[in-house]
Amino acid sequence: MEYDSNKKQPPFLEELVQLFHYHELIFLITGNILKNRYKRSVLGILWMLLNPLLQTIVLAIAFGAMFKSSLSNYPVYLLSGLITWSFITQTTQYSMGAMAYGGGLLKKIYIPRATYIVAVVGNGFVNFLISIFSMIIVVLFLGHPIESSWFFLPFSIMIITIFSLGFALLLSTASVFFADSIDIYQVLIQALFFLTPIIYPASTLPPDWSGLMAWNPFYYLIEIFRIPVYENTLPDNDLILISSLLAISTLLIGWLVFTSKADQLAYRL
Amino acid sequence: MSETIIQLDNVTVRFRVPHEKIPTFQEYAIRWLKKRRVTYSDFNALNDVSFSVGRGETIGIIGANGAGKSTLLKVISRVICPTRGRVLLRGRIAPLLELGAGFDDEMTGRENVFLNGAVLGFSRKDIASRLEGIINFSGIGEFIDAPIRTYSSGMVARLGFAIATDVQPEILIMDEVLSVGDAEFQKKSMARIMEYHHNGSTILIVSHNPNSISQLCNRTIWIEHGFLKMIGKTTDVLNQYSRNIPS
Repeated sequence: MEYDSNKKQPPFLEELVQLFHYHELIFLITGNILKNRYKRSVLGILWMLLNPLLQTIVLAIAFGAMFKSSLSNYPVYLLSGLITWSFITQTTQYSMGAMAYGGGLLKKIYIPRATYIVAVVGNGFVNFLISIFSMIIVVLFLGHPIESSWFFLPFSIMIITIFSLGFALLLSTASVFFADSIDIYQVLIQALFFLTPIIYPASTLPPDWSGLMAWNPFYYLIEIFRIPVYENTLPDNDLILISSLLAISTLLIGWLVFTSKADQLAYRL
Repeated sequence: MSETIIQLDNVTVRFRVPHEKIPTFQEYAIRWLKKRRVTYSDFNALNDVSFSVGRGETIGIIGANGAGKSTLLKVISRVICPTRGRVLLRGRIAPLLELGAGFDDEMTGRENVFLNGAVLGFSRKDIASRLEGIINFSGIGEFIDAPIRTYSSGMVARLGFAIATDVQPEILIMDEVLSVGDAEFQKKSMARIMEYHHNGSTILIVSHNPNSISQLCNRTIWIEHGFLKMIGKTTDVLNQYSRNIPS
């Protein structure tokens, strides 16, 4: 093994090569996050299935009556949006914290700087798949139809995961440089939750608000998952194009920003 | 001199120290609005440090607190990148600075062998084939399947040492001479390091103890205020160094 601090590739490439080299470490950390979270609880991994179900029951009771006329099978509408939202926001929030938690290790020993972020998104991805199972239980229970549009879901999941990774990289970099970005993000996320049609249908928004919706990236990412599930149709081309561009550009920017600052992380953390 | 294993050419490590600490975005924004930009001063933890180390050498590193010894070890173990200059290593490096880096308290000792092994860059297959040897050397015994949080600090260090040194590295880096675990384990770990040394491993030791340096090292590096003050035969460097300390 040889190391030459001068003969490195550009950071965005170098980090990619190193991540690949350390892929087993990423899988291990991903698994450990999963195991640790539920290790000491009685129901263990079952919580991952129950959590979205219980959340849906609570919200469906609270808001179900309100949207009964406009949305049939409201729990399916709610759940499909909610799990997408949770995946994106929880992974980004967690990865901002993980930078502080895994940061100690980055200062002690060489590992690829993005290791923890990728592992956290990997963990979120597994959680997302499990909550899709919960959703299927609800869909079957309510007798909501499952049609061929569901075959589009792997693509939706890919788009959402790519976006989450890019977003997590961006925000994690910010959290290293500004300690309060975690708090700012938490407040923004709370506001955005109500500004995004998750618990209510987009049609209930006043007309001048729907223009505003065009600027909400979460709207597209939730729709790309929800439409095949809830409406049993394929998303239209515009939606596919916008959400793909959104995801890919976020990942590219996030990756470039993160890797260009990566060498400073060990100094800053 | 034999084949060069470690080479540093004009290595400078610069830390940026803000005059006022601006840790939050809020304060940063306020300053930006007030057009009061943050001023920084640069602090060089290492200044144009150059030296090379040959295969099989044992090198001591001395210097006062804050002289840049730890920064030097970090730049060699690639935790931080030099701001300027070049670090060249030929061979695998085993940093014994942080034994058991990345151990997960909730996981068992066995699981942590794999985790720490991956942190050190070993493949799962590789670790699996050496698992028995690692566990035996650590002397953890039946506790290997208990969570690390139930271990004593000595046990944690023993397991970390066993993983880090299971395969002979080309370069070993130590911060102070190891005192891992009880007397028996200390003997065992020292014996392993000496064995690797005889087989050609290069060793770097940072120490404040002139005795252990003169015992182990044929050459010594003296660092002061981030500059390489002196490099040479251990006796010469230690002589100069002790003269420099008002007693």
